[in-house]
Amino acid sequence: MNGEEIIRFERVTKEYDGMVVLDDVSFAMERGKFYTLLGPSGCGKTTILRLIAGFIEPTQGTIYFHGKPIHHVPPNKRQVNTVFQDYALFPHLDVFENVAFGLRIKKMKEADIRQKVSEALRFVNLEGYERRRIQEMSGGQRQRVAIARAIVNEPEVLLLDEPLSALDLKLRTEMQYELRELQRRLGITFIFVTHDQEEALAMSDYIFVLNKGKIQQFGTPKEIYDEPINRFVADFIGESNILSGRMIEDFLVEFTGKRFECVDRGFAPNEPVDVVIRPEDLELVAPGDGQIVIRVDSLLFRGVHYEICGYDENGNEWLVHSTKKAEVGETVGLRFEPEAIHVMRVEREDEGA
Amino acid sequence: MKRTHWWGRVYLLIVFAVMYTPIVYLMYYSFNSGGAMHDFQSFTLEWYRDVLSDDRLLMIVLNTLVIALLSAAIATILGVIGALAIYYVKRQRTKNALLALNNVLIVSPDVIIGASFLLLFTVAGIKLGFTSVLLSHIAFSVPIVVLMVLPKLEEMSPTLIDAARDLGAGPWQVLSSVVLPFLAPSIWAGFFMALTYSLDDFAVTFFVTGNGFSTLSVEIYSRARQGISLSINALSTLLFLFTMLLVIGYYVLSQKGGRMYGIGGRK
Repeated sequence: MNGEEIIRFERVTKEYDGMVVLDDVSFAMERGKFYTLLGPSGCGKTTILRLIAGFIEPTQGTIYFHGKPIHHVPPNKRQVNTVFQDYALFPHLDVFENVAFGLRIKKMKEADIRQKVSEALRFVNLEGYERRRIQEMSGGQRQRVAIARAIVNEPEVLLLDEPLSALDLKLRTEMQYELRELQRRLGITFIFVTHDQEEALAMSDYIFVLNKGKIQQFGTPKEIYDEPINRFVADFIGESNILSGRMIEDFLVEFTGKRFECVDRGFAPNEPVDVVIRPEDLELVAPGDGQIVIRVDSLLFRGVHYEICGYDENGNEWLVHSTKKAEVGETVGLRFEPEAIHVMRVEREDEGA
Repeated sequence: MKRTHWWGRVYLLIVFAVMYTPIVYLMYYSFNSGGAMHDFQSFTLEWYRDVLSDDRLLMIVLNTLVIALLSAAIATILGVIGALAIYYVKRQRTKNALLALNNVLIVSPDVIIGASFLLLFTVAGIKLGFTSVLLSHIAFSVPIVVLMVLPKLEEMSPTLIDAARDLGAGPWQVLSSVVLPFLAPSIWAGFFMALTYSLDDFAVTFFVTGNGFSTLSVEIYSRARQGISLSINALSTLLFLFTMLLVIGYYVLSQKGGRMYGIGGRK
């Protein structure tokens, strides 16, 4: 990384009653970037957020903020604010007072408070809602109040704990754009927690994929999608065909009993590997022209494409996204480019994942 | 509108009749110039005049009010602290044990509480009178306040506290600007409950009150034993009306609380 480092975890472990939720995790984050912590529930992503916010302390390891350890800095003294999953707005205060809460704690002058609050509300498109009660606001509006309440304090890092999960699909998509836009305008670091891979891919500069308290992969959305490092990431980040195979030599891989040209190298000869082919990289052709021949088992119309599921002669399941239609029971060929094949090392210690 | 069965209404009517007839009967005869609880002769406010000109009685009314307000206020403070303490207990078993101890005090008979207080005060050498009555009233009111406040506290999302800390609030500010305002309706409800419990307590007070100090319920009891005077009816009527006022106050407050925090809340 070449930007200014803002947060660093060094071998951080967190246990609850002997249960390891975060296992020896190390990473660094730069100022002004949009990071996403992505993983299934219980993977430790919210724990990382709570550690940064200061609600909990690591069992082992050190967390650095601007290069200084921040263990004994309580949450109210950290330059970090959080948007909570349930928004955690104060029900006894109206919109204005909710947003003003942090400023009042800092004993800011009334005139300054008024100005900053209306600025923050304008930022999230909630002008004119100052005197509304929280109970009168819709889910999307509450979301914005929660964001305004956090950014009005001018934090260096904004933590977002699955803030979109309570919204419906349309609003969620809208808020994705807005959040990304907000991050660009504010220029501060966003750390966004989600279990939704599409959300992560759409919004982030960088993604951390987590599973079982460990970081599986770190990279840009494109890297994560195109070059998943293992079976778990490939499976979690989108629908894919994952097959066991063998790397014969550089640029030549064998799976389903056939050899294919590919673009990967650097494996030991005959090393066992996992092979990923994304369903949208498969092209439906006549059986004779196909590198693989499958028998169509089921067909779903998904709007943009058909989702076709079938089995080859070795019993491997294949998922294909195609704009062409196929009939159930029909035999079709599949074609793919060498670039569509992504070869991954098989992880021995983590085979259950 | 939904139609209710007529026998449901009749049943309700009978129940209310059984409960309220004696009270209405008593109130009715408090206006009887005949001086007895039968043969209504003519309307009079004589008995009310009697009550209001009775200095000793007014003194007792004052005592009763002071005891009620003081004990309710102190019990509310202690009860809120107690509820917070129980809330922050991490182990479920300890929590349940504390709650059980709290609830036992509410369901155990007043006579036993009164008798044990009498014993305690005698052993501890506390003179029976104002102090002993106040202490015992505080003691039986605290569990009620705890019981009113704790559910509201459990209902509060723990992220609310996290959010306050996140926005820079220290422990004291979290309590004063988030937790207590959130609990306010239930704290008021607890206060009013404590007030009514103190006002109409007879058994406990009867045990621990000494010579020269009395509260209304004890006074009414002793006067009723001495012989029938309709000023007791007048007094009881006034007390009943006052209690009704308190109940209405409590109702209005809890309605307001419901509108503020209940209806329209998240999911």
